[in-house]
Amino acid sequence: MNSLAPAFDDAEWLERERQAVPATLDAFLAQVERRAFRVAEMHLGHREDALDAVQDAMLRLVKHYRDKPAAEWTPLFWGILRRRVVDLQRRRKVRSIMVGWLGGGRDDNGDELPAWEPADSGPGPLDRLRDAQSYADMAAAVKRLPQRQREAFMLRVLEGLDVAETAQAMGCSEGSVKTHLSRAMHSLRDQLEDWR
Amino acid sequence: MNASDKSLEQRARALYLEAGRRLDPTTAGRLRAARRSALASAQAPVRHRVRALLPAGALAAVALVALMAWQPLQRDSASSPAADAVLTSATPTAADSELPPDADGPDDPTLYQNLDFYGWLAATGRDQTTPAH
Repeated sequence: MNSLAPAFDDAEWLERERQAVPATLDAFLAQVERRAFRVAEMHLGHREDALDAVQDAMLRLVKHYRDKPAAEWTPLFWGILRRRVVDLQRRRKVRSIMVGWLGGGRDDNGDELPAWEPADSGPGPLDRLRDAQSYADMAAAVKRLPQRQREAFMLRVLEGLDVAETAQAMGCSEGSVKTHLSRAMHSLRDQLEDWR
Repeated sequence: MNASDKSLEQRARALYLEAGRRLDPTTAGRLRAARRSALASAQAPVRHRVRALLPAGALAAVALVALMAWQPLQRDSASSPAADAVLTSATPTAADSELPPDADGPDDPTLYQNLDFYGWLAATGRDQTTPAH
């Protein structure tokens, strides 16, 4: 089932990549931008919003933190992206409430109108994956997690940040990170039972 | 952490990294463009600031010139007959005297309260100035 049996140890690769602190902000962003997009996409479930979130996070990192030491860029970037994702989720919630109040969402016959945001028409990135179904299953399971558990899982497990960096990016204590992560793992174990 | 957690983590991470690597070219291109534009925005802050200050500077210069041009005009017009007419019209008229006296002005209300005294004073003065027959 797992066609992604890695030719190399991914954890090791990720660790190596993280330890080799990029010399420039350009190199750092180039290294992280695609994964950041995947994280935002899993949170938001929408390509354009995910692109917006990553673009905004890059802009803010460059604008406000470019003079910080390179070792601090990682937690700063993920923290900015996390806040941006939360902002977009809130905005989307408000928008859907407004649409509901204004009588949107249903046509004259009371039938439900298409979603407020049109579905992506371009070829889905999942189609291009060898193990697309597995990734889709995981993404769906992660999306079902509560927000803070999802953040802890993505930063700590997927992105491989250490506990302190994850806590900094999430704006909480290290103890909270461990609690959220433990609950996330418990929930994912149940949801992804057929992975065993 | 048990072995099944470890394997779940490894598999999830492998899928995630692979998904990042296999991003479609359009999205990857847009991310590259976003990165370049973010970096470019940081490299030209001074030029942006100068551009933002230009309209404000121009406005201040225009205001200064207008002020300088207006002040001599004002001085000239102040000494003209028209200005005199304006000044004259600004003096109190009969219509103004119908207004109630201003407490701080020359028409002090105490004047009206002591009106009897002033009447008596005037009458006394008149009597004294009237020549005796």
